[in-house]
Amino acid sequence: MSSLDFLFRPKTVALIGASHDERKLGGVILKNLLKFKGRLYPVNPKYDSLMGIKSYPSVDEVPEFIDLSLIMRPAEEIPALLKSHKGKARCAVVMSSGFSETGRGDIQDEIKKIGIETGVRILGPNCMGVYNPGERLDTLLLPAEKIGRPKKGNVGVVTQSGAILHCFFGIMKASNIGISKAATYGNAVDIDECDLYEYFSRDRRTDVVISYIESVGDGRRFLEAAKGLSGEKTLLILKAGKGSSGEAAAYSHTGRLAGRYEVFTSLLKQFGIKEVRDFDEMADAVKALSYQRPSKGNRVLIITNGGGSGVLAADECMRQGLEAPPLPPEKTARLKETFPPFYAIHNPLDLTAQVEDGDYLTALSELKDDFDGFVVIALAGVPGITEGLSAMIADFKKKTDRPIVFHTTCGCGEGKLISAFERSGIPVYPSPERAVRAMKALLGER
Amino acid sequence: MITEFLERHKGKTSFLEHEVKGLLKDMGLSVPNGVFTAKGETLRLPAGLSYPLVAKVSSSKIASKSDVRGVRLGIRNENELETAVRELFEIEDAEGALIEETAPAGVEVIIGGIIDRQFGPVVMFGLGGVFVELSKDVAFALAPLTREDSHWIVRQVKSYRLLEGVRGRPPSDLNALSDIIVAVGEIISTGLIREIDLNPVAVYPRGALILDAKASPLPPG
Repeated sequence: MSSLDFLFRPKTVALIGASHDERKLGGVILKNLLKFKGRLYPVNPKYDSLMGIKSYPSVDEVPEFIDLSLIMRPAEEIPALLKSHKGKARCAVVMSSGFSETGRGDIQDEIKKIGIETGVRILGPNCMGVYNPGERLDTLLLPAEKIGRPKKGNVGVVTQSGAILHCFFGIMKASNIGISKAATYGNAVDIDECDLYEYFSRDRRTDVVISYIESVGDGRRFLEAAKGLSGEKTLLILKAGKGSSGEAAAYSHTGRLAGRYEVFTSLLKQFGIKEVRDFDEMADAVKALSYQRPSKGNRVLIITNGGGSGVLAADECMRQGLEAPPLPPEKTARLKETFPPFYAIHNPLDLTAQVEDGDYLTALSELKDDFDGFVVIALAGVPGITEGLSAMIADFKKKTDRPIVFHTTCGCGEGKLISAFERSGIPVYPSPERAVRAMKALLGER
Repeated sequence: MITEFLERHKGKTSFLEHEVKGLLKDMGLSVPNGVFTAKGETLRLPAGLSYPLVAKVSSSKIASKSDVRGVRLGIRNENELETAVRELFEIEDAEGALIEETAPAGVEVIIGGIIDRQFGPVVMFGLGGVFVELSKDVAFALAPLTREDSHWIVRQVKSYRLLEGVRGRPPSDLNALSDIIVAVGEIISTGLIREIDLNPVAVYPRGALILDAKASPLPPG
């Protein structure tokens, strides 16, 4: 496989099982595809036109070669349909369910064989297909007017589950981050996470790839592909199915201890591939990594106007293996001269409730080269904190290539402050711990 | 070496402890001095084996020797040894007894290998002993392992610092440990062995001894 370009950037798309009824899945997809930049061919033997587009009775009748064929028909019909794609289509997305996940592994094996025989590449079955906002290609079974899509951006999504793509859309919109391309690959009879990793490793629009995995086929191939992608972009893996244990009846201790997940997580580490523990960690990490480039080191400065928030941040640093070391003595002395005597010049650096916006900039500029990353906390209820703070921190960000994350209270009317920060590329988190975990993700290099 | 070993023991469903130890010894690793006596054979103790001794039941059907009370420790003389061996032979399915010199105490680790369904041959390392399945403080690595991989896997377990020497104890010989891990990686990555367990392996400030070992071949076909 040299390239999956025809999957993400097809010139011609057919939809087998297209419908005019928006309550049906074939109608939802057709409606989402109306915006597609290339040429669209709905296939349905009962109609001459659907949603105002000329429709064709069968794949054979479509007047040109099909780059990408989307198939939304019952599982039993799929083998015959796929055979009719021979010499007619390059790639088919089998969206229907009802294969190995419901005990019909036989049909799944059959379509795998047909794929090999016909040379048609297959995505799925049991998947939602692809999303590429650059081509306005949207094969998802989610009505766009009900489920808004994230904006264009630098995050690629590779997910075995369509439902999780749906949830990723939610966090991406909430975090104000954008998507480059997404693919869901379901039961993976042909195109799998490895092919997709390889594609994303060369995709210029993507900086970060998030990947949700239930199972992998060939484990060694997966490790190589994931390692390859991790060398080019930041890859974050979320693995589901952590509960399965080793074989209770195994002959050895090793056999009983070798649970599928235990082995998986160890090998990811061995290959330097990043794993997130759960959905929330994925959400916080992808936000940070979409906003800022990963960097290295583990020495963090916590600067705050609330003592308690600073301590919680320092606690989380400890748990995450980050250090919050003391300030260099000469800097402490200088800051003590500059600031009022009741500011606590330590790490966390506590500027207290009497802080003014400018104090953050003073302290950060002084300590710019002494730390690997900066956790900035500004509780917005304090009189001296204004929206002007975001411009100052943004200004500081231009002078350093080290990561900066921001924590403030959320939900008490700080909306403008938060969006001002996020517009300048500084991710905002609603708790000190989450801000620190985001910092940990940023300091993980690549 | 491993293929020769398998050829020699063709048709078995699992190997006896002294057979696995023989292979490990041939690969240049250290095991306690000892002698295997098959059930019914007259016990003949080679010169140079010194008390106190350990006697353990040997059987391809017994998965856990301690569960069947198949281990005798601290045997001080010939009389005690004869009694011990007689008792061990009476255990159901006993095929023989392995008599070994008592090893000095060291940091006990487990080194194992399995064929994982997704990843193929994989090596496990952990702090060992009979309670390893409770602590679950283990890590895995893809086999075969380089020396660098073997150092990596050792650092992955939480109790790694025990090997660095805590509370006045000297640090353990990580190179000797590494030799064993790499060898297990070689054995399991032949794809001919289904499972191998070295547990415990005692690691000392200088050297390491494989105190117990078991392995089973892949079923034919």
